[in-house]
Amino acid sequence: MRSLTWFFAPGNPDNRSLIDISKHQTYCEISMATTVIMPKQGQSVESCIIVSWKKHAGDAVKAGDILCEVETDKATFEVESPAEGTLLAIFHEQGADVPVLAPIAAIGKPGENAEALRGAGGPAAAAPPAPAAPPPPAAPAAPAPTDGKIKASPRAKALAASRGVQLAGLRGTGPGGRIIERDVAAAQPGAAPRAAPPVTGEVREVKVTGIRKLISERMLASLQTTAQLTMHTAADARTIQSLRKKFKESPEQMGLRDVTINDMVLYAVSRVLPLHPGINALFVGDTLRLHASVHLGFAVDTPKGLMVPVVRNAHALSLREIARETARLAAGCRDGGIRPEEMAGGTFTVTNLGTFGVHGFTPVLNAPQVGIIGVGAIVPGPIAAADGATSFVPQIGLSLTINHQVVDGAPGARFLQALAAEIAQFDLLLAR
Amino acid sequence: MPKSIVVDPRETRKPGMLSFTDIPLNAYVLDMKKELKSHGKDALLRAYRDMAIIREFETMLNTIKTKGAYQGIAYDHLGPAHLSIGQESTVVGQCMRLGIEDFIFGSHRSHGEIIAKCLSSAARLPAAQVSSIMETYFGGALLRVVEKGAHGAAEDLAVDFVLYGVLAEIFGRENGFNKGMGGSMHAFFAPFGSMPNNAIVGGSADIAVGAALFKRINRKPGIVIANIGDGSSACGPVWEAMMVAAMDQYRTLWPKDVGGAPPMLFSFFNNFYGMGGQTLGETMGFKVLARIGAGVNPEQMHAERVDGYNPLAVCDAIERKKKVLLEGRGPVLLDIITYRYSGHSPSDASSYRTKEEVALWQDVDCIASYGKDLVAAKIAAAEDLQAIQQSAQERIRRITELAVSLQVSPRVRVGGRGPSDAIGDLMFSNGNVEKFDDRQPEMLIAPAANPRILANARKSRSGIGPDGKPLPKSQVIALRDAIFEAMLHRFSIDPTMAAFGEENRDWGGAFAVYRGLTEALPYHRLFNTSISEGAIVGAAVGYALSGGRAVPELMYCDFLGRSGDEVFNQVCKWQAMSAGVLKMPLVLRVSVGSKYGAQHSQDWSSLLAHMPGLKVMFPVTPYDAKGMLNLALRGTDPVVYLESQRVYDVGELFVPGGVPEGYYEVDEGEPAIRRTGTDITIVTVGATLYKALESADILSAKHGLSAEVIDARFINPLRYEKILDSVRKTGRCVLASDACERGSFLHTMASNITQMAFDSLDAPVAVVGARNWITPCAEMEEAFFPQKEWILDTIHERVVPLDGHSVTTEQGVGEMLRRNAGGV
Repeated sequence: MRSLTWFFAPGNPDNRSLIDISKHQTYCEISMATTVIMPKQGQSVESCIIVSWKKHAGDAVKAGDILCEVETDKATFEVESPAEGTLLAIFHEQGADVPVLAPIAAIGKPGENAEALRGAGGPAAAAPPAPAAPPPPAAPAAPAPTDGKIKASPRAKALAASRGVQLAGLRGTGPGGRIIERDVAAAQPGAAPRAAPPVTGEVREVKVTGIRKLISERMLASLQTTAQLTMHTAADARTIQSLRKKFKESPEQMGLRDVTINDMVLYAVSRVLPLHPGINALFVGDTLRLHASVHLGFAVDTPKGLMVPVVRNAHALSLREIARETARLAAGCRDGGIRPEEMAGGTFTVTNLGTFGVHGFTPVLNAPQVGIIGVGAIVPGPIAAADGATSFVPQIGLSLTINHQVVDGAPGARFLQALAAEIAQFDLLLAR
Repeated sequence: MPKSIVVDPRETRKPGMLSFTDIPLNAYVLDMKKELKSHGKDALLRAYRDMAIIREFETMLNTIKTKGAYQGIAYDHLGPAHLSIGQESTVVGQCMRLGIEDFIFGSHRSHGEIIAKCLSSAARLPAAQVSSIMETYFGGALLRVVEKGAHGAAEDLAVDFVLYGVLAEIFGRENGFNKGMGGSMHAFFAPFGSMPNNAIVGGSADIAVGAALFKRINRKPGIVIANIGDGSSACGPVWEAMMVAAMDQYRTLWPKDVGGAPPMLFSFFNNFYGMGGQTLGETMGFKVLARIGAGVNPEQMHAERVDGYNPLAVCDAIERKKKVLLEGRGPVLLDIITYRYSGHSPSDASSYRTKEEVALWQDVDCIASYGKDLVAAKIAAAEDLQAIQQSAQERIRRITELAVSLQVSPRVRVGGRGPSDAIGDLMFSNGNVEKFDDRQPEMLIAPAANPRILANARKSRSGIGPDGKPLPKSQVIALRDAIFEAMLHRFSIDPTMAAFGEENRDWGGAFAVYRGLTEALPYHRLFNTSISEGAIVGAAVGYALSGGRAVPELMYCDFLGRSGDEVFNQVCKWQAMSAGVLKMPLVLRVSVGSKYGAQHSQDWSSLLAHMPGLKVMFPVTPYDAKGMLNLALRGTDPVVYLESQRVYDVGELFVPGGVPEGYYEVDEGEPAIRRTGTDITIVTVGATLYKALESADILSAKHGLSAEVIDARFINPLRYEKILDSVRKTGRCVLASDACERGSFLHTMASNITQMAFDSLDAPVAVVGARNWITPCAEMEEAFFPQKEWILDTIHERVVPLDGHSVTTEQGVGEMLRRNAGGV
């Protein structure tokens, strides 16, 4: 049984995008009949309006046939049939505003009962029924929220996030059933729906789908199929910090105010990598492909999960151009406007957890790339002065993971050393 | 000692007739020989020159406003231009004999007054003094501009300086006399005695009285003139100003050596129109404005009508009246008739009057007529006058070019990204001034011998006894005693400090706050005023901006309405509108009532919070009352100091050791944590603090919730850090005060707290205010002002349900909806 099939972006299958937005064909296949669900068109779209149905109940359809036309506030597009069969039922008429991922129709064999699929709430609802749990006792006190939205105070949400508590299972005792701090505090830390809950109450299971599922598969595959070696160093950050300050205070028309520390690291990587061709490479099958151009992937944290857009030909871009490009791509990831091809074709990746205070970590390779730099926080680090005394200067953490299958420790370390040196004297690098 | 003027029924009930003396109308007779002897040729010609300059200056503005260019200099002036073309003789005549110690306050139509006063001062002062004034004003920035390519004498340079300073101000430039913060209607130049001009009709009247009081009380030289229009004679504050200026006490009760009544001249520039309303025959009933003087005092305010179309007639009147004023026999009222050819403003088509009427006045044009007199007396030839006119045009052209140029005359930088708070920096002077003069403060007895201080010495400084229980109120230093101590302290240090208001003397005011000050202070430092709330505050404004520390009082917060313009337009604005040239060391004590129904029980702190430029304090403990008043009374900013009548008698319950005997200050803007807690933060403004503490007791005793209670104390400025720290700890916050809920300052606080501590909140910040009703009679007040039950019920309904609690009042969201829908 397939609960959900994702389609990957066209192009190099080894560089497929983490998200499918190239097709509007999104469906779940459950038992015999297939539910057609309202596709999610862009990150910010919560619902779509059905403009017109092109097929009617009872019509025979082939996979790929246009079933209906729907529109968002931005665009109109077509929903294709995910399967061959008979259009058993249409759940929403023309003009209806339907939440994304909600069922809009069912396809199956003539005579099959499609009504069971009508209320299915998308992928999550397509999960098998939860293991039999004792029915929750009637709760006469605070009514559980019934409108599907979880009402929780910001403080309760923050506490839940820090303790790993799922709000979905909690009963709110605040005014109007709002989940408030004490409700989270009373919950079992880390209580996950999958673990048989020792407490009574409502349990909701969330299927890992979409980007999350992609990340899940690819991360695991990366660690299982490559030999990852991580090494750490730190670079003197005084120059990039002072530059950052200077950029912030520069005249607006120079377009430098939004250049980030990360942009400067990207710039440095893009200039150092061509001198270390073994690391700017893809390892596919038994072949190492050495790239002359630097296409730099960089990690973007989005509400949906990790996304890695690519700055093309980064080695040829000025710092300002890199900054503009990263800003544009990151915004695209967050608002869903990113195109699949913008997330494919990277030759090396930079990921940054420094803003969270992380000093160093072990980045996971974006295979088949053979190198990834993790950028850490800027923290005071010791340096030995000429007179032998120790002083502290701000240093930025750098963690390089390489695929030891094709890159040895020494060349990796040389690259890392060169990168740290260029970052330390970034102003000179810029002048070159 | 109480005043001893007996109101004898035998006298007051006697029959008889009240008689008036005649009021002279245009009594001046021109005798050019005499005038020549008196003024000299140069001064007479200079008067002609000054009129010509003013005429050309105003013509330039009119041309720019209506045609977008003057003598080929294109400029788009966005701001107003209330012109006085036709009225030049009044202002020039007025200033011919005045010195810089004589102050002139004016109106929105005062370009001519500023120029006339400054040009006259520049011509009459020693050249070195003029140079020094120009060199030191804004570090010589204006002088640097006009001295380029300058020619001629220092006085000639001063003319350019004055015209450039005024015009740059009108055009909103940093080189303006007030850095462009005032503009056309507010420009002034204090170093030459040209004082703030006011865009509120009649607004200068009570302010000028305050300046005159300052001169009298502090024995400073000079007189004070308020140039106000005939239209303003209908304004309440103008009448109030006349009442305060004419109080009998200056001559009956004040020490003789102070010198009598304040030297105040009400100069009504009577151009017969208040905007388009005709005061002669239409909107007023006096026929002759000078008649008003007869209604004010037996001297009839020495009122006269003066022919303002002859500068020498005006000069003559001012000179005679100045003598009266310096002898302490004021106030004086002059009805100076004049006429403006220009409309109220360039957008005024003058449809309310005929062209024929304008022509009648143009036929006797004040400049042309004066020119004829000069020629007839052989003081000047017609060509000389023509040359003066020509020179005025050239000069105005030169000055206009400088003022129009953004390179030469840039604006103050405001807005844009990055810190640029040029105007914000002007809102408060944040000064720290022990005393505004070095002379010995006039006191009747030493503070140590003061009966109130002696009585206080017998009381406990703390409201808590050795057993940890509150002491009886009669045995403790109460809030009113603490206010008294702060007042007496500053009175004994700053000789300029004066306090006044309704019933401030004799019995210590309506709430016994000042009891003991009567014994301590001579009459001129603490006095009763007429029931004139507008003029009480307005006079304090004039007093403060003249350089003295003023403590006016409003007996009830509800009377703020009566002093609305003074508090909302004058007190809070002049520091910034003057670009920091003026300071406003003014503490307005305002008592907030209760138990007195709808018009004597309102907490209007939220209205005050809304007004930029006011510092607002609301102490409700004796420690704060003294420490915060000490803070206010050494500052240089206007402070509204609110006092709740509910707590005048409370002792100090929070600060260990109670109210210090010595001097101390409370940190500005810093709230006070009255009780620490962990589960909910209750922030109060005003006396609701004590209700909140009762709620906190119940929360702790019955519901196991530990409440942190914070007394905001300050409304503006207010430092939020302590409140935010508390809310981040507790996650819950309720705000309470006696102000009506709708539009309450509490909502501003709630919004700020929500935005600054959103992620810490476990519930929305809830506001508990008074009902949006009239304040009912005392017996029903509990239904109107926040009670401890309201706070508990609000917590239960909107923040966190309280175990075992059942509400006794409606505080839920449904009730909020109902109240809002009903507008209550």
